[in-house]
Amino acid sequence: MSDETVRTADMRIPGDLTKEQFMDRLVRVDHAGEYGAVRIYSGQLAVMGRGQHKHTLKHMLEQEVVHKDYFEKAIADRQGRPTLLQPVWHVAGWALGAGTALLGERAAMACTVAVEEAIDEHYAEQAAQLGDDEAELKQTILKFRDEELEHRDIGYQNGAEQAPAYPLLYGAIKRGTKLAIWLSERI
Amino acid sequence: MSNEESLDALRERLVLAALEHVPFDGWSTKALRHACQDLGLDSSAAERLFPHGVTTAVECFTVLADRLMAEDVAALPLAEMNVRDRIIAVVKARLTRWAPHQESIRRALAVYAMPATVAGGAKATWNTADAMWKAIGDRSADFSWYTKRATLSAVYSATLLYWLDDQSEDFAETWLFLERRVEDVVKAIRLRQTVGTSVGKALSLLPNPLAFIPRPGSGLGARRSGGRRNGL
Repeated sequence: MSDETVRTADMRIPGDLTKEQFMDRLVRVDHAGEYGAVRIYSGQLAVMGRGQHKHTLKHMLEQEVVHKDYFEKAIADRQGRPTLLQPVWHVAGWALGAGTALLGERAAMACTVAVEEAIDEHYAEQAAQLGDDEAELKQTILKFRDEELEHRDIGYQNGAEQAPAYPLLYGAIKRGTKLAIWLSERI
Repeated sequence: MSNEESLDALRERLVLAALEHVPFDGWSTKALRHACQDLGLDSSAAERLFPHGVTTAVECFTVLADRLMAEDVAALPLAEMNVRDRIIAVVKARLTRWAPHQESIRRALAVYAMPATVAGGAKATWNTADAMWKAIGDRSADFSWYTKRATLSAVYSATLLYWLDDQSEDFAETWLFLERRVEDVVKAIRLRQTVGTSVGKALSLLPNPLAFIPRPGSGLGARRSGGRRNGL
């Protein structure tokens, strides 16, 4: 085993996804996720665009746009299928961003923390499943993951935990994000 | 693994050989058995290769036709063609190759039209439209991915039905029909863009609803966000 390189889906057992199915899901869900992230930060900027966090939000939005473009290209290169739910994420993402921002700046940061934590776990899981045959993609996902963690830390630094009803808000958004991930992999 | 590949290759050879018999026997076990004899196979090979019946044989043929279409289109100078010409070229490529086997294609449609397989027929049409867009180098990664395939499915199935009854030389009538259908699609896209632009313009004349809501950093919102704020 040791001298052999680990390849994606090497560990699969009957009933698991094949490498093609796995890769198809991966690019679809990651594109959907980054698309949603762009929409969330756009929604927050629409409300907080003149506030003290203007530049932080713009910085995070720019990074998410880079991520989204990367997976957009990946879908085209790998001849994958984008999620059918994209119009839903278009509206829901923006509404989540603008909605939490309207609850206050700290609620917006709590939203960032919850979303980015869910994405962090999701990327970590994906990176663990990718083998050496997808080294470039794996490195990119790990790099994106670091940036998502940076966003999460920005959220904590800006008082996410002092948001109104933080545990409730955090729990609901994180669960919602995980549901969105589950759906985008499949639909 | 190589064993599996050769089985798929054998299935494809079998359905191609069956095309000669389908006009007489339909897509049936009988036609597949005759094809087995032509290929020098044991006549039970038909059931062994397609244990789920003739529907799977028709599906195998559809997938093969989609792949051959992609190969035919790859030989064209796509870079010099606009999307309209590419669509016309790919539909032509899909049909032209099977011109000698029109009757077998008609019989395949009959299989897909049966109640038990009608869902498979819709799926096959969708897959063909998907293969067409991929063959002509579509790179969309947004919702247009779906609308493009839905539109081309409609254009392709209408053209296919026209082609089956076309008596004109070299299917000239079909290609004119196809051009008119594609023209309709292009017009619909242009109309949507025009309407979209004018609606966008009209909306931009309305005030931004967010301007009415107190926000952090602006007037009332700035005072509030500094202090306690019971947002809930």
